[in-house]
Amino acid sequence: MPGPSRFRSRRAWLLGALRAVIGVTVAAVLYPVVRYLQPRSASGARAMETLAPYRVSDLRALEAKGEGPPPFNFGGEPCLVILTPEGEVRAFNAVCTHLQCTVEYRPDLREIFCPCHNGVYDLYGHNVAGPPPAPLKQYKVTLRESAGQEEILISRSV
Amino acid sequence: MVSARTGRGRAFLVERLGREPLQRLAAEKRVPIHRFTLFYFLGGMALFLFVIQIVTGILLALHYRPAPDEAFESVRTIMTELNFGWLIRSAHAWSANLLIGVLMLHLLTTYIMRAYRRPRELTWASGVVLLGLFLAFGFSGYLLPWNRLAFFATRVGTALVGLLPVVGGQLLLWARSGKEVTGETLAQFYAFHVVILPLATLAVLGVHLYLVQHHGMSIPQTVAKERGAAENVPSMAFFPKFLLRDMVGWYVALGLLAALAALSPWELGEKADPFGTPPEGIRPEWYFLFMYESLRQLPPRVLGIEWLNGDVVGVLLAGLAGLVVLLVPLLDWRAAQGWSRPVLNFLAAWAVAAFLIQTAGGLGLLELRLARSALFSGLAAVALWLTWLMGTRLHRSGRLGRDP
Repeated sequence: MPGPSRFRSRRAWLLGALRAVIGVTVAAVLYPVVRYLQPRSASGARAMETLAPYRVSDLRALEAKGEGPPPFNFGGEPCLVILTPEGEVRAFNAVCTHLQCTVEYRPDLREIFCPCHNGVYDLYGHNVAGPPPAPLKQYKVTLRESAGQEEILISRSV
Repeated sequence: MVSARTGRGRAFLVERLGREPLQRLAAEKRVPIHRFTLFYFLGGMALFLFVIQIVTGILLALHYRPAPDEAFESVRTIMTELNFGWLIRSAHAWSANLLIGVLMLHLLTTYIMRAYRRPRELTWASGVVLLGLFLAFGFSGYLLPWNRLAFFATRVGTALVGLLPVVGGQLLLWARSGKEVTGETLAQFYAFHVVILPLATLAVLGVHLYLVQHHGMSIPQTVAKERGAAENVPSMAFFPKFLLRDMVGWYVALGLLAALAALSPWELGEKADPFGTPPEGIRPEWYFLFMYESLRQLPPRVLGIEWLNGDVVGVLLAGLAGLVVLLVPLLDWRAAQGWSRPVLNFLAAWAVAAFLIQTAGGLGLLELRLARSALFSGLAAVALWLTWLMGTRLHRSGRLGRDP
Protein backbone atom coordinates (compact mmCIF):
# COMPACT_ATOMS: atom_id res chain seq x y z
CA MET A 1 0.00 0.00 0.00
CA PRO A 2 1.51 3.33 -0.91
CA GLY A 3 1.52 5.80 1.98
CA PRO A 4 0.11 9.36 1.76
CA SER A 5 3.62 10.74 1.18
CA ARG A 6 3.93 8.72 -2.01
CA PHE A 7 0.60 10.09 -3.20
CA ARG A 8 1.77 13.58 -2.52
CA SER A 9 5.00 13.12 -4.40
CA ARG A 10 3.13 11.54 -7.31
CA ARG A 11 0.76 14.49 -7.35
CA ALA A 12 3.70 16.89 -7.13
CA TRP A 13 5.32 15.12 -10.05
CA LEU A 14 2.14 15.30 -12.11
CA LEU A 15 1.68 18.99 -11.31
CA GLY A 16 5.27 19.67 -12.23
CA ALA A 17 4.81 17.81 -15.51
CA LEU A 18 1.61 19.74 -16.21
CA ARG A 19 3.35 23.07 -15.59
CA ALA A 20 6.23 22.01 -17.81
CA VAL A 21 3.86 21.08 -20.63
CA ILE A 22 2.01 24.40 -20.27
CA GLY A 23 5.34 26.23 -20.25
CA VAL A 24 6.58 24.45 -23.37
CA THR A 25 3.26 25.10 -25.14
CA VAL A 26 3.36 28.81 -24.29
CA ALA A 27 6.98 29.01 -25.45
CA ALA A 28 6.13 27.15 -28.67
CA VAL A 29 3.35 29.65 -29.37
CA LEU A 30 5.34 32.73 -28.40
CA TYR A 31 8.56 31.84 -30.22
CA PRO A 32 7.27 32.27 -33.79
CA VAL A 33 5.30 35.37 -32.72
CA VAL A 34 8.38 37.04 -31.27
CA ARG A 35 10.45 36.03 -34.28
CA TYR A 36 7.74 37.38 -36.58
CA LEU A 37 7.84 40.72 -34.77
CA GLN A 38 11.60 41.01 -35.31
CA PRO A 39 12.16 43.62 -38.02
CA ARG A 40 13.83 42.43 -41.18
CA SER A 41 17.54 43.16 -41.38
CA ALA A 42 18.34 45.90 -43.85
CA SER A 43 19.23 44.68 -47.31
CA GLY A 44 22.99 44.40 -47.63
CA ALA A 45 23.24 46.08 -50.99
CA ARG A 46 24.32 49.62 -50.16
CA ALA A 47 25.52 51.79 -53.02
CA MET A 48 29.18 52.65 -52.61
CA GLU A 49 29.06 55.54 -55.03
CA THR A 50 26.54 57.56 -56.97
CA LEU A 51 26.33 60.40 -59.41
CA ALA A 52 24.68 63.56 -58.08
CA PRO A 53 21.55 64.49 -60.08
CA TYR A 54 23.09 67.86 -60.92
CA ARG A 55 26.38 69.29 -62.16
CA VAL A 56 28.63 71.97 -60.67
CA SER A 57 27.10 74.54 -63.03
CA ASP A 58 23.65 73.77 -61.54
CA LEU A 59 25.03 74.42 -58.05
CA ARG A 60 26.37 77.78 -59.24
CA ALA A 61 23.02 78.73 -60.72
CA LEU A 62 21.24 77.81 -57.48
CA GLU A 63 23.76 79.72 -55.39
CA ALA A 64 23.20 82.80 -57.52
CA LYS A 65 19.55 82.58 -56.44
CA GLY A 66 20.62 82.17 -52.81
CA GLU A 67 19.36 78.60 -52.62
CA GLY A 68 20.96 75.36 -51.55
CA PRO A 69 20.58 72.24 -53.73
CA PRO A 70 17.92 69.69 -52.75
CA PRO A 71 19.21 66.50 -51.13
CA PHE A 72 19.03 63.23 -53.05
CA ASN A 73 19.08 59.50 -52.35
CA PHE A 74 22.50 57.95 -51.82
CA GLY A 75 22.24 54.34 -50.67
CA GLY A 76 18.97 54.86 -48.81
CA GLU A 77 19.98 58.06 -47.03
CA PRO A 78 19.67 61.70 -48.10
CA CYS A 79 22.89 63.22 -49.40
CA LEU A 80 23.68 66.95 -49.41
CA VAL A 81 26.10 68.50 -51.91
CA ILE A 82 27.32 72.06 -51.38
CA LEU A 83 29.44 74.47 -53.38
CA THR A 84 31.47 76.56 -50.93
CA PRO A 85 32.11 80.26 -51.62
CA GLU A 86 35.71 79.22 -52.36
CA GLY A 87 34.41 77.04 -55.18
CA GLU A 88 34.97 73.68 -53.51
CA VAL A 89 32.34 70.95 -53.79
CA ARG A 90 31.67 68.94 -50.63
CA ALA A 91 29.19 66.15 -49.94
CA PHE A 92 27.69 65.05 -46.65
CA ASN A 93 25.24 62.56 -45.30
CA ALA A 94 22.30 64.96 -44.80
CA VAL A 95 20.96 63.16 -41.74
CA CYS A 96 21.32 65.45 -38.73
CA THR A 97 23.33 63.81 -35.95
CA HIS A 98 20.84 65.14 -33.41
CA LEU A 99 17.51 63.41 -34.12
CA GLN A 100 17.85 62.38 -37.77
CA CYS A 101 16.08 65.25 -39.49
CA THR A 102 17.44 66.24 -42.91
CA VAL A 103 19.75 69.25 -42.96
CA GLU A 104 19.84 71.96 -45.64
CA TYR A 105 22.48 74.32 -47.04
CA ARG A 106 22.02 78.06 -46.51
CA PRO A 107 24.44 79.82 -48.86
CA ASP A 108 23.55 83.29 -47.56
CA LEU A 109 24.49 82.37 -43.97
CA ARG A 110 27.35 80.06 -45.03
CA GLU A 111 26.03 77.29 -42.86
CA ILE A 112 24.33 73.93 -42.96
CA PHE A 113 21.14 74.11 -40.94
CA CYS A 114 18.71 71.62 -39.42
CA PRO A 115 15.23 73.18 -39.24
CA CYS A 116 13.87 70.65 -36.74
CA HIS A 117 15.73 71.87 -33.64
CA ASN A 118 17.90 74.70 -35.03
CA GLY A 119 21.15 72.75 -35.27
CA VAL A 120 23.99 74.50 -37.14
CA TYR A 121 27.00 72.98 -38.93
CA ASP A 122 29.80 74.82 -40.70
CA LEU A 123 30.69 74.10 -44.31
CA TYR A 124 33.03 71.31 -43.21
CA GLY A 125 30.08 69.59 -41.53
CA HIS A 126 31.33 70.38 -38.02
CA ASN A 127 28.56 70.89 -35.49
CA VAL A 128 29.01 74.48 -34.29
CA ALA A 129 25.73 75.49 -32.59
CA GLY A 130 22.51 74.04 -31.26
CA PRO A 131 21.91 70.51 -30.09
CA PRO A 132 23.76 68.29 -32.64
CA PRO A 133 26.32 66.17 -30.75
CA ALA A 134 28.57 65.18 -33.67
CA PRO A 135 29.69 66.37 -37.13
CA LEU A 136 27.95 65.29 -40.35
CA LYS A 137 29.42 62.29 -42.11
CA GLN A 138 31.41 63.50 -45.12
CA TYR A 139 31.62 61.72 -48.47
CA LYS A 140 34.38 61.81 -51.03
CA VAL A 141 33.69 64.00 -54.06
CA THR A 142 35.23 63.42 -57.48
CA LEU A 143 34.63 65.88 -60.30
CA ARG A 144 34.91 64.70 -63.88
CA GLU A 145 34.45 65.94 -67.43
CA SER A 146 34.82 69.50 -68.64
CA ALA A 147 35.62 72.37 -66.27
CA GLY A 148 32.59 74.35 -65.14
CA GLN A 149 30.26 71.55 -66.30
CA GLU A 150 31.69 68.79 -64.11
CA GLU A 151 29.64 65.84 -63.02
CA ILE A 152 29.75 65.18 -59.28
CA LEU A 153 30.63 61.64 -58.24
CA ILE A 154 30.02 60.83 -54.57
CA SER A 155 31.63 57.84 -52.85
CA ARG A 156 31.64 56.51 -49.33
CA SER A 157 35.38 56.21 -48.69
CA VAL A 158 36.76 59.60 -47.67
CA MET B 1 -46.39 57.93 -19.18
CA VAL B 2 -45.09 54.55 -20.21
CA SER B 3 -47.31 52.98 -22.82
CA ALA B 4 -48.47 49.42 -22.35
CA ARG B 5 -46.35 48.26 -25.26
CA THR B 6 -43.10 49.76 -23.90
CA GLY B 7 -43.93 48.28 -20.54
CA ARG B 8 -44.34 44.83 -22.07
CA GLY B 9 -41.10 45.28 -24.01
CA ARG B 10 -39.27 46.23 -20.85
CA ALA B 11 -40.72 43.29 -18.97
CA PHE B 12 -39.59 41.00 -21.79
CA LEU B 13 -36.02 42.31 -21.55
CA VAL B 14 -35.88 42.30 -17.75
CA GLU B 15 -37.10 38.72 -17.68
CA ARG B 16 -34.32 37.64 -20.03
CA LEU B 17 -31.44 39.95 -19.09
CA GLY B 18 -32.17 40.50 -15.41
CA ARG B 19 -32.40 43.75 -13.55
CA GLU B 20 -28.76 43.90 -12.62
CA PRO B 21 -26.42 45.67 -12.83
CA LEU B 22 -27.22 48.61 -15.09
CA GLN B 23 -30.55 49.38 -13.49
CA ARG B 24 -29.05 49.30 -10.02
CA LEU B 25 -26.26 51.57 -11.20
CA ALA B 26 -28.73 54.03 -12.68
CA ALA B 27 -30.73 53.99 -9.45
CA GLU B 28 -27.78 54.31 -7.08
CA LYS B 29 -25.11 56.42 -8.80
CA ARG B 30 -24.97 59.90 -7.30
CA VAL B 31 -22.70 62.86 -7.88
CA PRO B 32 -21.69 65.06 -4.91
CA ILE B 33 -22.44 68.78 -5.13
CA HIS B 34 -19.73 71.15 -3.91
CA ARG B 35 -17.41 73.85 -5.24
CA PHE B 36 -15.38 71.36 -7.31
CA THR B 37 -18.38 69.65 -8.94
CA LEU B 38 -17.40 71.18 -12.29
CA PHE B 39 -14.32 68.92 -12.28
CA TYR B 40 -16.56 65.85 -12.40
CA PHE B 41 -17.61 66.73 -15.97
CA LEU B 42 -14.13 66.26 -17.45
CA GLY B 43 -14.11 62.46 -17.49
CA GLY B 44 -17.48 62.34 -19.24
CA MET B 45 -16.27 64.97 -21.69
CA ALA B 46 -13.22 62.85 -22.51
CA LEU B 47 -15.50 59.85 -23.04
CA PHE B 48 -17.70 61.84 -25.42
CA LEU B 49 -14.69 63.00 -27.46
CA PHE B 50 -13.38 59.43 -27.55
CA VAL B 51 -16.70 58.28 -29.02
CA ILE B 52 -16.33 60.99 -31.68
CA GLN B 53 -12.83 59.65 -32.38
CA ILE B 54 -14.20 56.14 -32.86
CA VAL B 55 -16.99 57.24 -35.18
CA THR B 56 -14.91 59.61 -37.32
CA GLY B 57 -12.00 57.14 -37.27
CA ILE B 58 -14.16 54.34 -38.64
CA LEU B 59 -15.47 56.67 -41.35
CA LEU B 60 -11.91 57.64 -42.34
CA ALA B 61 -10.80 54.00 -42.35
CA LEU B 62 -13.39 53.27 -45.04
CA HIS B 63 -11.37 55.30 -47.55
CA TYR B 64 -7.84 55.43 -46.19
CA ARG B 65 -5.11 53.26 -47.77
CA PRO B 66 -2.00 52.64 -45.64
CA ALA B 67 0.82 52.50 -48.20
CA PRO B 68 3.45 55.13 -49.10
CA ASP B 69 2.24 55.34 -52.72
CA GLU B 70 -1.41 55.70 -51.76
CA ALA B 71 -1.76 57.09 -48.24
CA PHE B 72 -1.33 60.77 -49.13
CA GLU B 73 -3.49 60.40 -52.23
CA SER B 74 -6.26 58.66 -50.31
CA VAL B 75 -6.33 61.39 -47.65
CA ARG B 76 -6.39 63.98 -50.44
CA THR B 77 -9.36 62.16 -51.95
CA ILE B 78 -11.08 62.18 -48.57
CA MET B 79 -10.39 65.90 -48.20
CA THR B 80 -11.30 67.06 -51.69
CA GLU B 81 -13.56 64.56 -53.44
CA LEU B 82 -15.70 62.70 -50.92
CA ASN B 83 -18.78 64.47 -49.61
CA PHE B 84 -17.93 66.05 -46.26
CA GLY B 85 -14.63 64.15 -46.12
CA TRP B 86 -12.92 67.36 -45.07
CA LEU B 87 -15.37 67.64 -42.18
CA ILE B 88 -14.83 64.08 -40.99
CA ARG B 89 -11.04 64.34 -41.08
CA SER B 90 -10.97 67.81 -39.51
CA ALA B 91 -13.33 66.69 -36.76
CA HIS B 92 -11.11 63.66 -36.14
CA ALA B 93 -7.96 65.77 -35.87
CA TRP B 94 -9.50 68.59 -33.83
CA SER B 95 -11.34 66.24 -31.52
CA ALA B 96 -8.05 64.40 -30.88
CA ASN B 97 -6.47 67.67 -29.78
CA LEU B 98 -9.41 68.61 -27.58
CA LEU B 99 -9.38 65.12 -26.09
CA ILE B 100 -5.73 65.37 -25.05
CA GLY B 101 -6.43 68.80 -23.52
CA VAL B 102 -9.45 67.51 -21.59
CA LEU B 103 -7.45 64.51 -20.37
CA MET B 104 -4.68 66.78 -19.09
CA LEU B 105 -7.25 68.90 -17.23
CA HIS B 106 -8.88 65.72 -15.92
CA LEU B 107 -5.50 64.58 -14.57
CA LEU B 108 -4.74 67.96 -13.02
CA THR B 109 -8.15 68.37 -11.36
CA THR B 110 -8.05 64.81 -10.04
CA TYR B 111 -4.69 65.67 -8.54
CA ILE B 112 -6.07 68.86 -7.01
CA MET B 113 -9.05 67.00 -5.49
CA ARG B 114 -6.66 64.29 -4.30
CA ALA B 115 -9.12 61.76 -5.63
CA TYR B 116 -6.33 59.17 -6.09
CA ARG B 117 -6.13 58.45 -2.37
CA ARG B 118 -6.97 55.04 -1.00
CA PRO B 119 -8.87 53.08 -2.29
CA ARG B 120 -8.70 54.78 -5.72
CA GLU B 121 -5.00 54.30 -6.51
CA LEU B 122 -5.74 52.00 -9.43
CA THR B 123 -8.34 54.39 -10.85
CA TRP B 124 -5.57 57.00 -11.02
CA ALA B 125 -3.01 54.59 -12.46
CA SER B 126 -5.41 53.35 -15.16
CA GLY B 127 -6.18 56.98 -16.02
CA VAL B 128 -2.49 57.80 -16.45
CA VAL B 129 -2.09 54.72 -18.66
CA LEU B 130 -5.06 55.96 -20.73
CA LEU B 131 -3.38 59.35 -21.18
CA GLY B 132 -0.27 57.52 -22.39
CA LEU B 133 -2.39 55.48 -24.81
CA PHE B 134 -4.02 58.61 -26.21
CA LEU B 135 -0.63 60.26 -26.69
CA ALA B 136 0.37 57.11 -28.61
CA PHE B 137 -2.83 57.48 -30.65
CA GLY B 138 -1.80 61.04 -31.48
CA PHE B 139 1.73 60.05 -32.45
CA SER B 140 0.74 57.05 -34.58
CA GLY B 141 -2.14 58.89 -36.27
CA TYR B 142 0.15 61.77 -37.19
CA LEU B 143 2.13 59.65 -39.67
CA LEU B 144 -0.88 58.26 -41.53
CA PRO B 145 -1.41 61.16 -44.04
CA TRP B 146 2.22 60.54 -45.14
CA ASN B 147 3.02 64.20 -45.65
CA ARG B 148 6.39 65.92 -45.14
CA LEU B 149 5.54 67.08 -41.64
CA ALA B 150 4.37 63.61 -40.60
CA PHE B 151 7.43 61.92 -42.06
CA PHE B 152 9.95 64.05 -40.20
CA ALA B 153 7.90 64.14 -37.00
CA THR B 154 7.96 60.35 -37.03
CA ARG B 155 11.65 60.19 -37.84
CA VAL B 156 12.48 62.50 -34.92
CA GLY B 157 9.97 60.90 -32.54
CA THR B 158 11.25 57.40 -33.18
CA ALA B 159 14.87 58.59 -33.04
CA LEU B 160 14.08 59.64 -29.47
CA VAL B 161 13.25 56.04 -28.59
CA GLY B 162 16.59 55.06 -30.07
CA LEU B 163 18.38 57.27 -27.56
CA LEU B 164 17.43 55.07 -24.61
CA PRO B 165 20.48 53.39 -23.13
CA VAL B 166 21.08 49.67 -23.85
CA VAL B 167 17.68 48.81 -25.41
CA GLY B 168 17.43 51.92 -27.64
CA GLY B 169 18.85 50.42 -30.83
CA GLN B 170 16.55 47.42 -30.80
CA LEU B 171 13.53 49.54 -29.80
CA LEU B 172 14.23 51.89 -32.71
CA LEU B 173 14.23 48.97 -35.14
CA TRP B 174 10.92 47.80 -33.71
CA ALA B 175 9.35 51.24 -33.63
CA ARG B 176 10.15 51.82 -37.31
CA SER B 177 9.86 48.20 -38.30
CA GLY B 178 13.26 48.67 -39.92
CA LYS B 179 16.19 51.04 -39.92
CA GLU B 180 14.40 53.94 -41.62
CA VAL B 181 10.87 55.34 -41.70
CA THR B 182 9.35 53.48 -44.68
CA GLY B 183 6.13 51.88 -45.84
CA GLU B 184 6.74 49.19 -43.22
CA THR B 185 6.60 51.89 -40.56
CA LEU B 186 3.38 53.23 -42.04
CA ALA B 187 1.76 49.78 -42.02
CA GLN B 188 2.85 49.23 -38.44
CA PHE B 189 1.63 52.63 -37.25
CA TYR B 190 -1.69 51.98 -38.98
CA ALA B 191 -2.05 48.64 -37.20
CA PHE B 192 -1.30 50.33 -33.88
CA HIS B 193 -3.64 53.23 -34.58
CA VAL B 194 -6.70 51.24 -35.67
CA VAL B 195 -6.31 47.84 -33.97
CA ILE B 196 -3.83 47.56 -31.13
CA LEU B 197 -4.32 50.92 -29.39
CA PRO B 198 -8.15 50.88 -29.66
CA LEU B 199 -8.33 47.38 -28.14
CA ALA B 200 -5.88 48.29 -25.37
CA THR B 201 -7.75 51.54 -24.73
CA LEU B 202 -11.13 49.83 -24.51
CA ALA B 203 -9.71 47.32 -22.04
CA VAL B 204 -8.07 49.92 -19.78
CA LEU B 205 -11.06 52.24 -20.14
CA GLY B 206 -13.31 49.37 -19.04
CA VAL B 207 -11.22 48.93 -15.89
CA HIS B 208 -11.15 52.71 -15.30
CA LEU B 209 -14.93 53.10 -15.65
CA TYR B 210 -15.62 50.00 -13.57
CA LEU B 211 -13.46 51.39 -10.77
CA VAL B 212 -15.19 54.77 -10.94
CA GLN B 213 -18.60 53.07 -10.56
CA HIS B 214 -17.32 50.67 -7.92
CA HIS B 215 -15.91 53.36 -5.63
CA GLY B 216 -18.35 56.13 -6.48
CA MET B 217 -17.29 59.76 -6.91
CA SER B 218 -14.51 60.87 -4.61
CA ILE B 219 -15.30 63.80 -2.32
CA PRO B 220 -12.36 66.14 -1.56
CA GLN B 221 -11.23 65.90 2.06
CA THR B 222 -11.61 69.64 2.64
CA VAL B 223 -15.24 69.54 1.48
CA ALA B 224 -16.01 66.54 3.67
CA LYS B 225 -14.34 68.25 6.65
CA GLU B 226 -16.38 71.42 6.25
CA ARG B 227 -19.58 69.37 6.27
CA GLY B 228 -18.42 67.28 9.19
CA ALA B 229 -18.46 64.05 7.17
CA ALA B 230 -18.55 62.89 3.56
CA GLU B 231 -22.10 61.61 4.10
CA ASN B 232 -23.31 65.15 4.78
CA VAL B 233 -22.18 66.48 1.41
CA PRO B 234 -25.29 66.99 -0.75
CA SER B 235 -25.50 65.07 -4.03
CA MET B 236 -27.64 64.67 -7.10
CA ALA B 237 -28.73 61.55 -8.95
CA PHE B 238 -26.41 60.76 -11.85
CA PHE B 239 -29.35 59.50 -13.87
CA PRO B 240 -30.92 61.62 -15.18
CA LYS B 241 -29.81 64.86 -13.47
CA PHE B 242 -26.05 64.79 -13.88
CA LEU B 243 -26.23 63.04 -17.23
CA LEU B 244 -28.44 65.82 -18.58
CA ARG B 245 -25.85 68.36 -17.44
CA ASP B 246 -23.15 66.20 -19.05
CA MET B 247 -25.09 66.30 -22.30
CA VAL B 248 -25.23 70.09 -22.23
CA GLY B 249 -21.42 70.05 -22.06
CA TRP B 250 -21.22 67.53 -24.89
CA TYR B 251 -23.52 69.62 -27.03
CA VAL B 252 -21.28 72.66 -26.50
CA ALA B 253 -18.23 70.51 -27.34
CA LEU B 254 -19.92 69.28 -30.52
CA GLY B 255 -20.62 72.88 -31.53
CA LEU B 256 -17.03 73.89 -30.80
CA LEU B 257 -15.77 70.94 -32.81
CA ALA B 258 -17.99 71.76 -35.77
CA ALA B 259 -16.86 75.40 -35.65
CA LEU B 260 -13.17 74.45 -35.51
CA ALA B 261 -13.51 71.90 -38.30
CA ALA B 262 -15.47 74.30 -40.51
CA LEU B 263 -13.44 77.46 -39.86
CA SER B 264 -10.05 75.80 -39.74
CA PRO B 265 -10.04 72.51 -41.69
CA TRP B 266 -7.01 70.34 -40.98
CA GLU B 267 -4.25 70.87 -43.53
CA LEU B 268 -2.81 68.13 -45.66
CA GLY B 269 0.52 69.68 -46.68
CA GLU B 270 2.78 68.12 -49.30
CA LYS B 271 3.49 64.45 -49.85
CA ALA B 272 6.42 63.03 -47.90
CA ASP B 273 9.74 62.63 -49.70
CA PRO B 274 12.16 60.49 -47.67
CA PHE B 275 15.10 62.23 -49.35
CA GLY B 276 13.64 65.74 -49.24
CA THR B 277 13.91 68.38 -46.55
CA PRO B 278 11.55 69.04 -43.63
CA PRO B 279 8.97 71.83 -44.13
CA GLU B 280 9.77 75.32 -42.85
CA GLY B 281 8.90 75.94 -39.23
CA ILE B 282 8.35 72.24 -38.50
CA ARG B 283 6.96 71.66 -35.02
CA PRO B 284 4.79 69.00 -33.42
CA GLU B 285 1.24 69.18 -32.08
CA TRP B 286 0.81 71.44 -29.06
CA TYR B 287 0.91 68.60 -26.53
CA PHE B 288 4.40 67.57 -27.64
CA LEU B 289 5.71 71.15 -27.90
CA PHE B 290 7.22 71.10 -24.40
CA MET B 291 9.32 68.10 -25.43
CA TYR B 292 10.30 69.70 -28.74
CA GLU B 293 11.37 72.94 -27.06
CA SER B 294 13.35 71.08 -24.40
CA LEU B 295 15.16 69.11 -27.10
CA ARG B 296 16.01 72.36 -28.84
CA GLN B 297 17.40 73.85 -25.64
CA LEU B 298 19.32 70.86 -24.29
CA PRO B 299 23.01 71.12 -25.23
CA PRO B 300 24.84 68.25 -26.94
CA ARG B 301 26.79 67.67 -23.72
CA VAL B 302 25.12 68.39 -20.40
CA LEU B 303 27.45 70.24 -17.96
CA GLY B 304 30.23 69.70 -20.50
CA ILE B 305 30.40 65.99 -19.69
CA GLU B 306 31.39 64.01 -22.77
CA TRP B 307 29.06 61.00 -22.35
CA LEU B 308 26.12 62.95 -20.92
CA ASN B 309 24.15 63.56 -24.12
CA GLY B 310 21.48 66.26 -23.78
CA ASP B 311 18.78 64.33 -25.60
CA VAL B 312 19.35 61.20 -23.58
CA VAL B 313 18.97 63.31 -20.43
CA GLY B 314 15.78 64.85 -21.86
CA VAL B 315 14.24 61.49 -22.77
CA LEU B 316 15.13 59.96 -19.42
CA LEU B 317 13.76 62.99 -17.52
CA ALA B 318 10.50 62.81 -19.50
CA GLY B 319 10.24 59.10 -18.70
CA LEU B 320 10.94 59.82 -15.03
CA ALA B 321 8.26 62.53 -14.97
CA GLY B 322 5.75 60.07 -16.43
CA LEU B 323 6.68 57.52 -13.79
CA VAL B 324 6.28 60.08 -11.00
CA VAL B 325 2.80 60.96 -12.29
CA LEU B 326 1.88 57.27 -12.43
CA LEU B 327 3.10 56.73 -8.87
CA VAL B 328 1.47 59.81 -7.29
CA PRO B 329 -0.79 57.68 -5.04
CA LEU B 330 2.31 55.90 -3.69
CA LEU B 331 4.27 59.13 -3.20
CA ASP B 332 1.33 60.61 -1.29
CA TRP B 333 0.70 57.45 0.72
CA ARG B 334 -0.63 59.29 3.78
CA ALA B 335 -3.26 61.17 1.77
CA ALA B 336 -6.14 59.19 3.30
CA GLN B 337 -5.06 60.33 6.77
CA GLY B 338 -5.24 63.93 5.62
CA TRP B 339 -1.49 64.71 5.74
CA SER B 340 -0.52 67.69 3.63
CA ARG B 341 1.68 67.15 0.55
CA PRO B 342 3.94 70.22 0.18
CA VAL B 343 6.76 68.54 -1.76
CA LEU B 344 4.41 66.88 -4.24
CA ASN B 345 2.46 70.12 -4.64
CA PHE B 346 5.66 71.97 -5.42
CA LEU B 347 6.64 69.35 -8.01
CA ALA B 348 3.17 69.54 -9.53
CA ALA B 349 3.32 73.36 -9.67
CA TRP B 350 6.75 73.11 -11.27
CA ALA B 351 5.55 70.57 -13.83
CA VAL B 352 2.61 72.79 -14.79
CA ALA B 353 4.79 75.92 -14.97
CA ALA B 354 7.52 74.16 -16.98
CA PHE B 355 4.92 72.68 -19.34
CA LEU B 356 3.37 76.11 -19.97
CA ILE B 357 6.71 77.92 -20.38
CA GLN B 358 8.20 75.26 -22.66
CA THR B 359 5.01 75.14 -24.72
CA ALA B 360 5.13 78.94 -25.12
CA GLY B 361 8.78 78.55 -26.15
CA GLY B 362 7.86 75.87 -28.67
CA LEU B 363 5.24 78.19 -30.15
CA GLY B 364 7.90 80.87 -30.54
CA LEU B 365 6.25 83.19 -28.00
CA LEU B 366 9.32 83.01 -25.76
CA GLU B 367 12.96 82.74 -26.75
CA LEU B 368 14.71 81.21 -23.76
CA ARG B 369 17.79 79.20 -23.11
CA LEU B 370 17.66 76.15 -20.90
CA ALA B 371 18.96 77.82 -17.72
CA ARG B 372 16.43 80.66 -18.00
CA SER B 373 13.59 78.25 -18.73
CA ALA B 374 14.46 76.29 -15.60
CA LEU B 375 14.77 79.47 -13.55
CA PHE B 376 11.50 81.02 -14.75
CA SER B 377 9.52 77.81 -14.35
CA GLY B 378 11.02 77.43 -10.88
CA LEU B 379 9.97 80.97 -9.92
CA ALA B 380 6.50 80.46 -11.39
CA ALA B 381 6.25 77.21 -9.45
CA VAL B 382 7.13 78.96 -6.17
CA ALA B 383 4.50 81.61 -6.89
CA LEU B 384 1.87 78.99 -7.77
CA TRP B 385 2.76 76.94 -4.73
CA LEU B 386 2.54 79.93 -2.35
CA THR B 387 -0.81 80.96 -3.84
CA TRP B 388 -2.09 77.46 -3.30
CA LEU B 389 -0.80 77.38 0.28
CA MET B 390 -2.33 80.78 1.07
CA GLY B 391 -5.59 79.75 -0.58
CA THR B 392 -5.94 76.61 1.50
CA ARG B 393 -4.94 78.49 4.71
CA LEU B 394 -7.47 81.24 4.04
CA HIS B 395 -10.07 78.69 3.18
CA ARG B 396 -9.44 76.71 6.34
CA SER B 397 -9.66 79.85 8.46
CA GLY B 398 -13.04 80.55 6.88
CA ARG B 399 -12.08 83.87 5.29
CA LEU B 400 -12.86 82.58 1.81
CA GLY B 401 -16.35 81.65 0.79
CA ARG B 402 -17.79 78.30 1.74
CA ASP B 403 -20.17 76.09 -0.10
CA PRO B 404 -23.76 77.28 -0.16
